Amino acid sequence: MSPTLSRRDLLRLAGAAAAVPVLSSCAGAPTAQNTAIPGTFTIYWNAGHDYQAYRKVIAEFEQANKVKVNLQKYQWPDLRTRLLADFASGTVPDLVEEPGGWVQEFAISGNARPLQDFVDRDGQAMGFPSDWQPVTVERNSYQGKVYGVQLHFTCNTLLYNKAMLREAGVEVPTTWEEFLAAAQKLTKDGVYGVALNQDHTYVWPWLNQAGVTPYDPQTGKVMTPAADAVAALQFQADLVHKHKVAPVPVSGTDYSGPQKLFSAKRAAMILTGPWDLDPIRKTSPDIELGVAPPLKHKVQATQAAGVSMFVPAKAARPELSWDFIKRITAIEVEQAVTKETGMLMPRVSWTKLPEVQSDDVIKVFADALPTAKDNGQQVRLTGQLGKWEEQLKVMYQQVLIQNQPAAEALAAFAKSAEGFLT
Amino acid sequence: MRVLLYGLLGLASLITVVPLLYMVSLSLQTEAETLSANAVLVPDAPQWGNYAELFTRAPFGNFIVNSLVVAGGITLAHLLFDPLVGYVFAKFRFPLRNTLFVALLATAMVPFFVRMIPLYVLMANMQWLNTYQALITPFLMDAFGIFLMRQFIQPIPDDLIHAARIDGASELRIYWSVILPQTRPALAVLGLFTFVFQWNEFLWPLVATTTPEMRTIPVGLTLFNQEYFTLWHLTAAGSVILFVPTAVLFLFTQRYFVRGIALTGLR
Amino acid sequence: MRPRTLQGRYAQTAYLFLIPAILFFAAFFYLPIGNVIATSFRTGPQADQWTGLGNYAQALADPAVRHSFLVTAVFAVMVVVGSIVLGLALALALDQPLKGRVAFRVVLLVPYLTSVAIVGLLWRNILDPELGVLNRVLLALGLPGQQWLNTAPLLTIIAVTLWQNVGYTMVLFLAGLQGIPETYQEAAKIDGADAWKRFWRITLPLLAPTTLFVSVMAVISGLQAFGQAYIITNGGPGDATDLSVFHIFNVAFRARDFGYSSAQSVLLLIVIVAFTLVQLRAGRRGEVTY
Repeated sequence: MSPTLSRRDLLRLAGAAAAVPVLSSCAGAPTAQNTAIPGTFTIYWNAGHDYQAYRKVIAEFEQANKVKVNLQKYQWPDLRTRLLADFASGTVPDLVEEPGGWVQEFAISGNARPLQDFVDRDGQAMGFPSDWQPVTVERNSYQGKVYGVQLHFTCNTLLYNKAMLREAGVEVPTTWEEFLAAAQKLTKDGVYGVALNQDHTYVWPWLNQAGVTPYDPQTGKVMTPAADAVAALQFQADLVHKHKVAPVPVSGTDYSGPQKLFSAKRAAMILTGPWDLDPIRKTSPDIELGVAPPLKHKVQATQAAGVSMFVPAKAARPELSWDFIKRITAIEVEQAVTKETGMLMPRVSWTKLPEVQSDDVIKVFADALPTAKDNGQQVRLTGQLGKWEEQLKVMYQQVLIQNQPAAEALAAFAKSAEGFLT
Repeated sequence: MRVLLYGLLGLASLITVVPLLYMVSLSLQTEAETLSANAVLVPDAPQWGNYAELFTRAPFGNFIVNSLVVAGGITLAHLLFDPLVGYVFAKFRFPLRNTLFVALLATAMVPFFVRMIPLYVLMANMQWLNTYQALITPFLMDAFGIFLMRQFIQPIPDDLIHAARIDGASELRIYWSVILPQTRPALAVLGLFTFVFQWNEFLWPLVATTTPEMRTIPVGLTLFNQEYFTLWHLTAAGSVILFVPTAVLFLFTQRYFVRGIALTGLR
Repeated sequence: MRPRTLQGRYAQTAYLFLIPAILFFAAFFYLPIGNVIATSFRTGPQADQWTGLGNYAQALADPAVRHSFLVTAVFAVMVVVGSIVLGLALALALDQPLKGRVAFRVVLLVPYLTSVAIVGLLWRNILDPELGVLNRVLLALGLPGQQWLNTAPLLTIIAVTLWQNVGYTMVLFLAGLQGIPETYQEAAKIDGADAWKRFWRITLPLLAPTTLFVSVMAVISGLQAFGQAYIITNGGPGDATDLSVFHIFNVAFRARDFGYSSAQSVLLLIVIVAFTLVQLRAGRRGEVTY
């Protein structure tokens, strides 16, 4: 601004500045835009899933459809923030990868497009849903229609340090009692028998093994039978506070605490999924890694996890989006990804591949997949999952970290949850 | 007394600087060292390649340019607008002055993410998404800067303004040649903090950009995470790079806080 | 039309200067904030069903909301007081002609130059009782390890926030000190006032505009703290560090209840406005002109 600027000049400047938004919105000049650019296909993807095998699929997809793929990579929380803003404005991507559970949520809210018409047409040829593990289809459907397709299918199980178990003369545990006994024998100076996760979703395998139903819409009750739920929670808290065979977890945003302790040979056993395999092998290639089936208490069971894909309701070219889904879920692609990264896949025929059957680690996971349950399903369908997760997290940490009696904490949680679910 | 003072300042500096040195150490470790549970204080062999890897794994050069353009543009806008508005609130009497001032402060009392979606819809309607103007325009001035300037302009004696008016200077001329020169320390603070704040801004560049090439450094850094764990060596290296321009800017501005320079021209 | 009185002319000039600001804040702040208020009366994932004051009634009865306001109040009070006292002390010390003061200033501001996210991740890495570097050092020195993130989580994030912000208040006070003409200090010295008296009688009153600014902005930002919970503790353990704005963020973007989150932000806005009005009133009484 020059010092000789007069008041009138200033007024003119202000007027011009004020006119800018009006003008440009009238002109509506197409600048770089989210979806509507002809020839560009926008995908929201997890930053950790940018695999070579998927790059190849993208290249073929671009070739076949004469489009350019704009692969936008995010962390899950950021992807969600982004996506909710997109839903509000109406400028949506063509395809979204999601961490599990969002498909039903956005089907209910009307933001996801039903894919049933495509499934009816192409399902037979691509093997959907017949070749997908049943739970992966159920968790991506709403009111009898398919809204999403599972991309990866994983679950929690038991990872252990073979050398440590051998030295302590401990057999691989299969039940809670054996697990506790093993953890006690394995705990010694500077080494914990087990490390538990601060993240509340890791509570589910225990609750599943205790035969607990998260929510029964018929009765409106949560966490039943209550006595078994309390026992499952207290068992974990006792590992930390009573038996002192596990460190006190620390609340935070990442899940890698137990894996790091395991990698450093400071925890002999952890309960986790295949996502921790890669970091363990990278940091401690010398560890003799053992993988065992999920523990058994009343039943043998575990928590289902893994990502899916869906198409936003306002996406401009659903045909293209569907074509992408078909390509990226082909059995050859699943095979290539498993070979590249060790990731687990949702097709039944995948479990029979030689890469799966001949790999000690992957095979254990693959065998556990049919016992994996989706614990969020019934709550999700009420539209109250967000609140449920928030309160579950608080309750889990109160018991596991702050050592509140499980019966008390669970009763308070159940009272509150039964209030807002019905 | 002096020894005690030095001792306390030294201790405070130590507490501030050691954690940051640890960040530098992280940026020079191997991925295995950062992932290990036995936290490594000093890497075995410094991995300078981590810094190069930032540029091969992502368009990091673009991130730097974008961050400079956005934070720099916003800082210039603040230096242009905030002092003028602050001057008006400090030295003019006009109807509704106090009401307008509280209304102005109120704009700082709503968390940004609450306004973000309406703002995003506005930008989408104007077809501005993924452009520099979308990243810059919503931040041209703010309550912080205006309030800061008001507080620093207030102590300037009114006589100076009256004298200039009697000399027949225009109002803008008074602002430009009488007021602004008195406020250099405040302008330095304003420029520095606006730049730092915008340089580190995360949420808006996250939602307002739609291609990797338009991302700023903080948003770009999220690419160096896996689904379940952080690639610490790369994140730390990016953080060190992120830190350099703000530190340089501070080195340049800090001389304005030295007694003596501030008030030349007053007497 | 030209106003006849001098006062009228000044008022006209003032408004003329304010026009760009008024337009700007209307477009980018008041319109969106109006939208937030409108949303606060609605519910549903798309925030498209009218619910009147339902969200407000729910918020006032929600123990989690009340708890988050309480946590936030403790956090804000300690951060505001701590950063003003420590920042002012450092500024006074580094306003002296000390050798190496430039280096001290630079070092002390450095944490503020990085983002809350990076600072949070860094401290998380340092303080983790099992994995962090601090306990590794403590144990190597034969000292007992700490579990602060579990035993005193709120105090820990307050300390980290102070660690980051003290340099910032220090710089603001330093800039404020430059506006105090040395002649006043010298005159007082000649009158025989000791350093303590000079501080209370001259420095502090003349620093009032800066102090008002620092405390108003510190309360505004302290009550809106977010990154500390988002990055370091995820609001835990349990709900021990569930800061208000973090809570509101989760309601908005994790639970996707924008109506409820908007109502909570409006309530928070009311609280902050009340605090600020009190401070401004007190500040006006404290302002002196020489």
